[in-house]
Amino acid sequence: MRRRIWNVVHMEWAGIAATPSSLLFLAVIPALLVGQAVFLSWIVPRFVNPAILGAGAGDADTLRLLILKQFPFFVLLIPAMIANVFATLSIVEEKVTRTLEPLLATPVRTWELLVGKIVAGAVPALLVAWASAVLFAAVGFGLGWGPLLRTLFTPTFFLSMFLLMPAVSLMSFVIGVIGSSRASDAKAAQNLAVVIIFPIFALIAVQVTGLVAFTPLRTLFLSLVLLAADGLLLRAAVRLFARESIVTRWK
Amino acid sequence: MRDPEVISTDGLSKRFGERIAVEELTLAVPAGEIVGLLGPNGAGKTTTLRMLAGILAPTSGTALVDGLDPAKEPERVHESIGFLTESPGFYERLSAERNLTYFAAFYGGVDAHAAARNGIEQMGLAGRGGDKVGTFSKGMKQRLALARVLLHEPRILFLDEPTAGLDPEAARNLRELIVSLKKEGRTILLSTHNLTEAEELCDRIAVFRTRLVAIDTPGALRDRQFERRLRVRLASMTEDWLAALRAEPFVRSVERGTDGALDVRLADPDRDRPRLVTRIVEMGGQILEVREVERSLEDVYLSLIEEATE
Ligand SMILES: Nc1ncnc2c1ncn2[C@@H]1O[C@H](COP(=O)(O)OP(=O)(O)OP(=O)(O)O)[C@@H](O)[C@H]1O
Ligand SMILES: [Mg+2]
Repeated sequence: MRRRIWNVVHMEWAGIAATPSSLLFLAVIPALLVGQAVFLSWIVPRFVNPAILGAGAGDADTLRLLILKQFPFFVLLIPAMIANVFATLSIVEEKVTRTLEPLLATPVRTWELLVGKIVAGAVPALLVAWASAVLFAAVGFGLGWGPLLRTLFTPTFFLSMFLLMPAVSLMSFVIGVIGSSRASDAKAAQNLAVVIIFPIFALIAVQVTGLVAFTPLRTLFLSLVLLAADGLLLRAAVRLFARESIVTRWK
Repeated sequence: MRDPEVISTDGLSKRFGERIAVEELTLAVPAGEIVGLLGPNGAGKTTTLRMLAGILAPTSGTALVDGLDPAKEPERVHESIGFLTESPGFYERLSAERNLTYFAAFYGGVDAHAAARNGIEQMGLAGRGGDKVGTFSKGMKQRLALARVLLHEPRILFLDEPTAGLDPEAARNLRELIVSLKKEGRTILLSTHNLTEAEELCDRIAVFRTRLVAIDTPGALRDRQFERRLRVRLASMTEDWLAALRAEPFVRSVERGTDGALDVRLADPDRDRPRLVTRIVEMGGQILEVREVERSLEDVYLSLIEEATE
């Protein structure tokens, strides 16, 4: 069982490694994200009067902190996005190149195939997200924003990074799998997935932007709820990945 | 004794919505036999092989492959079968060898790297193992697909149009390979549109069009479908002789063909053939040629399919 899952994982990685564009995709994201966050928090306080924030907002640092606070939200989005793209591409490609049928004629189980694909997609996705956070911190401290960042790196932040983020990206991945099992082409699969994922992002956005207080307990609770939902969705995905429809319905 | 039947189906049926693809297929293939599935496009050959390989679930009826139901225990069935799918299907950005290693590693007790290298060599692709499959020609992909089917040395093979896309030499090599696989005791069910190939390879031929039309050895199908006829060419010929021959009890009918040769049906072709020759010689006829009219498997096939359509 483990041998078969690892086999899938290694093959997925070989596929990613053989595609320069997906490596580039992985490498560009952290740079882009951190670059944007740092640039904005550097440039905005220079040109915008902090007074527009209203009473109590006296200095540039308050404005800067407000911008920096958006960063965890974007980091959370990375693995979810990568996971969804990888899941859809991986399954759609199996259908288009017709590798799925010979694959299903081997002793591999559907769930092993899906779990292998999830692990293969989740590891680089989470690594990229964590790398972004580290890069962000390094650049931030380098620019002398240490005190600001310290207020950002709360227990909630770490809970989000190590629990909420995996839970969200798993969900995004599984939804991508379900989307591409049922949809009849790559575009439809990705559109479907985006529609389903959107509410999750909205929920996170609400939490992060402070409309709802983002306490460690709530983060923990949300993560656990999402993980439980992931489990159920994964079971549904295995069932929906019905061998039948995949082999024959695809044009 | 070997177990009598390695592949068997009982009333196996598959419909896709309203359309019936396979209807009430009942079939038994003993160990070590090669059975050919013949039928027009859309006859349900691929669907049948997919059901046997546990990739499609039948709508009704059952199948047993190596004693296991492929609908219930597909993964266990997969350990002992090799399924050559209709289209080869590879990860084109990766090398041929990496592709084979991947598929080999799913089987218990198989040294994936050795099996992959072996398969590439066996299929005449030595030297190309490191190349991306995307750079392969259609026939090369087909050969690679065959290598993939043999990686775990399965006892049972389902081959969907194995020689499609192969050049004549590669096709002959493959036929030789299939014969050697049979000699090793493997059981093979193959579909093909190549009737010569079917006749050369198969112990029995199943003519199939949604339903099973006939299944038998090529010779028996021929005898069943066409009465044996003799073609007799004489140096010269009179109407009297024709009448005299028609009067013989062992002669069923005599027709005169457009080329002047006689087309003779005998009561018992093997027993009565010498009698016919003797009788003609007695009448003073000079025989140039007596031969049995050869019916090609194509004639047999077309006539069976035509009957099935009516
Ligand atoms: N997924 C599907 N949905 C609907 N109909 C299908 C599906 N798969 C196969 N069919 C139908 O089932 C019938 C049998 O198809 P199948 O592919 O088994 O034929 P075949 O004998 O292999 O033909 P060919 O010689 O062209 O390969 C056809 O009428 C086909 O249209
Ligand atoms: Mg077919």
